[in-house]
Amino acid sequence: MGGELKAILGTAATCVAQVLWALLLAPLVEGLVRKLTARIQSRQGPPIWQGYFDLLKLLGKEDLEAGEIPWLPRVAAFLSLGTLMFMACVLPLGAAPPLGTETDSILLVHLVTLAGLGALMAGFAAGGTYSLIGSSREVMLMVLLEPLLAVAVIAGAVHRSSLAVAEAVRGGVYAAQGFPWSGLILLVVILLAFPAYVQRVPFDIAEAETEIMEGWLMECSGPTLALFKYSAMLKLVLYSALFVNLFVPWGEAGGGVGAWLFFWIKTGAVIALVAAAAAAHARYRADQAVRWFGMMLAAALFALWLAGLGC
Amino acid sequence: MKARERERKLRERFGAAIRRTDLISPDRLCLYVDKEAVREVCRFVFREMDARYVISVGLDDRPYSGHFLVSHNFAFDRDGILAALLTELPSEKPEIPSIADIVPAAGWAEREFRDLVGIEPKGHPYPKRLVLPDGWPDGAHPLRKDYAWNEVPKGWDNEASFHFDDPPEGCAVVPFGPFHPTLDEPEHFRLYVEGETVRGCEYRGFMVHRGIEKLAESVMGYNDIPMLAERICGICGCVHNVAYAQAVESAAGIQPPPRAEYIRTVMLEIERLHSHLLWVGLACHILGFDTLFMQAFRIREPVMWIAEKISGNRKTYALCLIGGVRWEITPPLAEELRGVMDKLEKEWLDVARAVERDRNIQRRTRGVGVADARLVKEFGLLGPVARAAGVEIDSRKDHPYAAYDRVAFDVIVEEGGDVWARLMVRVKEVFESIRIIRQCLEKMESGPLQAVIEDELQPGRIGLSSVEAPRGESHHFVVTGENNRPRRWRVRAPTYQNLQGIPAMIKDQTLADMTIALGSIDPCFSCTDRLETVDFRTGLVKVWSQGELEKLVREGKSD
Repeated sequence: MGGELKAILGTAATCVAQVLWALLLAPLVEGLVRKLTARIQSRQGPPIWQGYFDLLKLLGKEDLEAGEIPWLPRVAAFLSLGTLMFMACVLPLGAAPPLGTETDSILLVHLVTLAGLGALMAGFAAGGTYSLIGSSREVMLMVLLEPLLAVAVIAGAVHRSSLAVAEAVRGGVYAAQGFPWSGLILLVVILLAFPAYVQRVPFDIAEAETEIMEGWLMECSGPTLALFKYSAMLKLVLYSALFVNLFVPWGEAGGGVGAWLFFWIKTGAVIALVAAAAAAHARYRADQAVRWFGMMLAAALFALWLAGLGC
Repeated sequence: MKARERERKLRERFGAAIRRTDLISPDRLCLYVDKEAVREVCRFVFREMDARYVISVGLDDRPYSGHFLVSHNFAFDRDGILAALLTELPSEKPEIPSIADIVPAAGWAEREFRDLVGIEPKGHPYPKRLVLPDGWPDGAHPLRKDYAWNEVPKGWDNEASFHFDDPPEGCAVVPFGPFHPTLDEPEHFRLYVEGETVRGCEYRGFMVHRGIEKLAESVMGYNDIPMLAERICGICGCVHNVAYAQAVESAAGIQPPPRAEYIRTVMLEIERLHSHLLWVGLACHILGFDTLFMQAFRIREPVMWIAEKISGNRKTYALCLIGGVRWEITPPLAEELRGVMDKLEKEWLDVARAVERDRNIQRRTRGVGVADARLVKEFGLLGPVARAAGVEIDSRKDHPYAAYDRVAFDVIVEEGGDVWARLMVRVKEVFESIRIIRQCLEKMESGPLQAVIEDELQPGRIGLSSVEAPRGESHHFVVTGENNRPRRWRVRAPTYQNLQGIPAMIKDQTLADMTIALGSIDPCFSCTDRLETVDFRTGLVKVWSQGELEKLVREGKSD
């Protein structure tokens, strides 16, 4: 009994540590991304700690109630952040995840969807014209983005014949018998769609400041807005980590600090890539993005078919 | 004399309906047309002689001739003629047959003189209030001469609100403006939207109408007005400054000295440069491409600095007086300007190449906000909007002013009439402006900056002037008057015509394209630069001076 309790406590402690680490890291990453963007744009940019300042400032402000169901955006904000914090327990972040053995990969896909659901709830609850447009755009994108990710995970599961995160997600896409055709196709597909998962240009269509004034976020303020911003920062870190797990699992064989460090270097590279792509692109229109993701989904399904054949 | 030919042709056709003519100069034509014939004459001029509609002006001429006047102004661009068709109207209940159904471009102008001068355009298809604020009572007309410039009308209602039309069936209303991140001035578009597709819109603007024309006619003098005119626009103010001075000069027959004309040309092109660079930046920002936005502004900055070195200001150059200019371009300034142009050309070449290759930008701009040649004709659309539709109009070539007849440059024309074509027009016009400035610096002869004006300006003379602003032709109409000020001064900025084309340009486009379609006509904005910092640790408040801010911006450090 004592041993079991100890194990549970140990898992809990690792969970807390991993969540705290992600929470602490995310605003810094945001600051670094902003600095990098500024450099690309010949600007000075804000200090790298600006992410923390922004959150603190917003947390100290009044939460203005607006819209049809004023409490719902607040709940949605907690849901978004909570979902992402849970994801930090499930996802391998440079070491085996504390809850990795208990969860399967499909849950991971659902967590990604759940994190996006907050946007819908907030937008529809606010009920303003621009909020509604933002939310309906978000739905349009989610419908295509969710299966896209699901295909990547399932392809890994097919290769490894296991849905466990450690099996299917950790480089499972490449585990074909011969040359990993399906894995490479999926790598390209997810890479091309990736900015949409982290709400960055060219696919920040549901927010689109210069078109619909931040869309679903428009009516949010103070702590609610802080939590949504925090969610966005966490998303960038965790989804980039998910990407590394799915597609760039190499170089961590030894385990330990070296592997952990290398994992975060790879994740940092993915984040830098996202920032550079955002700086080099204009935003696509919703219909253009939908057509684009439709094509990506077709390619992904083809890859899944290949995976079924063992390629 | 082409103006003479045009006059003869009209006289042959309409005979006594044209009461008298006034050939102010070989390229300025004034015709006094009978009220009964005005529709037919305008139709003939607009459709058969293929003149471009410029503007309609309402005048309260009762203190001088006992009449109200309406002037329909047209331009014969190929012949270089600006023409005014004037109609005298009775002093009681002035009415004029509307020409808006024949010349759609006149829709706003007629509504405007209905509001401001109280001349009723009979049979106007949409005679809704345009300019006056919502609380303004009917029957008070601020541009009438018996209406004081500082009078608050009786019956002003602070609570009144604007009555919008009903949206079409099946459409939701999306309010766009008066404040929106991509609208730099307060204006309101009530969009009728089906899903994400815009089906139509109603426009309510003129929210910051400042009564500049009334002020000029009532309290200012000839040589004060250029400075006021400049404040019409925060981006192309120099255009209005020059256009006004030229209008008065054309009315009074004053010829500014050649060096002044070259300096006007240089400053106008400097203004076009900074305006186009700004627009390319803002257009990219609207599309979410902030990197090019920032780079365009970085490249633009030295243009602002050299303008400041010449005139003392980054913007608002206070350049013209009647018959001359106030600033000299000294040899060291000319040398520095050459250097700025060289650097700009090099950097802009990189931008132009990058933009031309960028498929991402093309996907967002091709086929978006299309204004074809027909729309350009019907609504009198101007500048890059017209040239992007293959319509080769440019006041610098068609109605040469300042020193534009002495420099070589190309009018950039593109096909397609979409946002992409407008982008290309503006990107390429930057190189033409650089070319013009270089030639001016080369050819500029020494001499005085100001013509000597010995005679008094005679009242009652009409002056017309067109200046090609970065956004299209700015047209100024002046009637000289007593007390050292004009009787009437009407300014038609290019956005006035271009905005009227917007409903057609955004119809059946998605909401996402609305902002860039609107942005592509380049409506203007202005800004201020003052900064206050608070040190949290000490609680000290520091207000940055202009000099300190400059040091911070230019050298990247503070004292």
